[in-house]
Amino acid sequence: MAGLLGIPNLDQACALVVHPVPDHAAALMRQLKAIGLRVIHAWPDLPAWAITADFVFYDTDMGYDAQFPWEPGQAPMPMIALVGSEAPGRIEWAARMGADALLLKPVGSSGAFSALLMAHHSFELRQSLNAEIKQLRHRVSARQTVVQAVALLSAHGKSQDAAYDQLRQMAMAWRINVEDAALRIVENAKDEGNLRDCN
Amino acid sequence: MAFGPHVALISARGAFFVFGVKVKRTVDLGVLYSSSGTYAAISQAVLRGTLAGVEEINADPSNPIRFQPIVRDPKGQLERYAPLCAEILESSKARHVFGCVTSSSRKEVIPTLDRTNAMLWYNLPFEGFETSNRVIYNHACANQHLLPLLSWCFGNFGTMPYLIGSNYIWGWETCRVARMRVEDAGGQVLGERYLPLGEEDVATLIAEIESLRPRFILNSLVGASSYAFLRAYADLGRRDPYFRAEQCPVVSCNLTEAELPLLGGAAEGLVSVGPHFCASQSEGGRDSSFENISRQSVHTLAAMLVAQGEQPFESFIAEQGDLFGIDPATHHSTLEVDVAQVRDGVFKVLHHWSDVAPDPYLTRPARHPRIDRPRLSVVS
Repeated sequence: MAGLLGIPNLDQACALVVHPVPDHAAALMRQLKAIGLRVIHAWPDLPAWAITADFVFYDTDMGYDAQFPWEPGQAPMPMIALVGSEAPGRIEWAARMGADALLLKPVGSSGAFSALLMAHHSFELRQSLNAEIKQLRHRVSARQTVVQAVALLSAHGKSQDAAYDQLRQMAMAWRINVEDAALRIVENAKDEGNLRDCN
Repeated sequence: MAFGPHVALISARGAFFVFGVKVKRTVDLGVLYSSSGTYAAISQAVLRGTLAGVEEINADPSNPIRFQPIVRDPKGQLERYAPLCAEILESSKARHVFGCVTSSSRKEVIPTLDRTNAMLWYNLPFEGFETSNRVIYNHACANQHLLPLLSWCFGNFGTMPYLIGSNYIWGWETCRVARMRVEDAGGQVLGERYLPLGEEDVATLIAEIESLRPRFILNSLVGASSYAFLRAYADLGRRDPYFRAEQCPVVSCNLTEAELPLLGGAAEGLVSVGPHFCASQSEGGRDSSFENISRQSVHTLAAMLVAQGEQPFESFIAEQGDLFGIDPATHHSTLEVDVAQVRDGVFKVLHHWSDVAPDPYLTRPARHPRIDRPRLSVVS
């Protein structure tokens, strides 16, 4: 149901805890193990397989860009910032790294589960929005192709409205979107030499 | 250094000997249950179990521990739990408290336990989503009660339930998980209602159930509200046979023998789930899983205190909890799970699962017991 926060399967999911003092992160690591995750501590260097971790918890007091093998904000997994100092500069860094959730230090016996759920939810949402933006960009960039296809179809004496309608019908028949149908028509026309001004 | 025969000696395991006779070490034990209030029957069951366990340990000459119960009674009032827990810990040497029935009261005392490094032994089923380092959860969490119960209900009665609960975290979270499971199974929740703790006016609920005709009713009401509802539902079943247990049962994760005497004939046909049910009529509601687990937990604590030595209890559990049946990661236990129905005043077990490991956050589907049935396929 929309609006329900589903609980992901976290059995043996891997959490990487990037924190300078393992003892200070012990309570967090205990919580994560209770939730069912495999927990691995790293500082300051991340292991080569870090990119395959399912969640990363990272310290915002001592952390720095070069620790991570990805560009700031481009982490391929949900990121949870461990915030100590609430100085705006550190919060800004946490945000720039792409925090999907925050957990205030010192971490006690609760908070990790909420942070995991929030981060998972935010990350999934961001991924789906990014996919949607990519698709919309593709459609915007295909506008010129659609105009060309409508022009080709209306060359046979149809009005532009009727030509666009025909394009839509063809897309439906081919079970592809209007932009891809337009591309197919334009490509065909190029092959047949009907579209000379296309390059 | 020489010891004369009149001097008490301490053995490696902490037992004292005077004149060759083992002298028990007295250990203060906090007990924080309400003898009155809407869920008094449940409190009395865990209190009875705790004190029975204490008596057994104290009467056992081979056990080096003698528990001295430090008892406080919050009288079912939520705001009294934290101050009384603090009072136990300040006025005695108790480091362990057996206490709390509702999750709300447990959450009230956790900050006090955190501050004082004391331990709560919580011996009732709960909704999960909590693994405090300061609590040992000896009874079932949702993958050990609600999920197997729902799996049994879906197989036998379908996926169109009506959900009712008391208006606090146990009711909310039980119904929320049930709603998600019902929707995952392609079913539909026909209604979801909450009553304040102690509320006994159930006429609206009954009228709504009568008109919606669900396939089963998940009851997470506690205490007086539950008794009032179950009596009214039994009346409804007498008026309309659809609402009898064979067709539309009431199922629950928190009903045990402890409450059967209060329900009398209205308990017939109720379905429950738990780690243990009595095979024969239990006199006065005794020997429920609430009582049994409380009693066993006192024995577990005594054994742990003997083995603990000088090590802090927290690290002792982390290293050796497994030896005492406590999962070091979650502080929960692996349990048996029975779905059972009240027939002639006795719970008859209808389905059993062995050794269900705890999954308090419901993040590990491999630990979710289910009843797998062969899928029907269309033969063409």
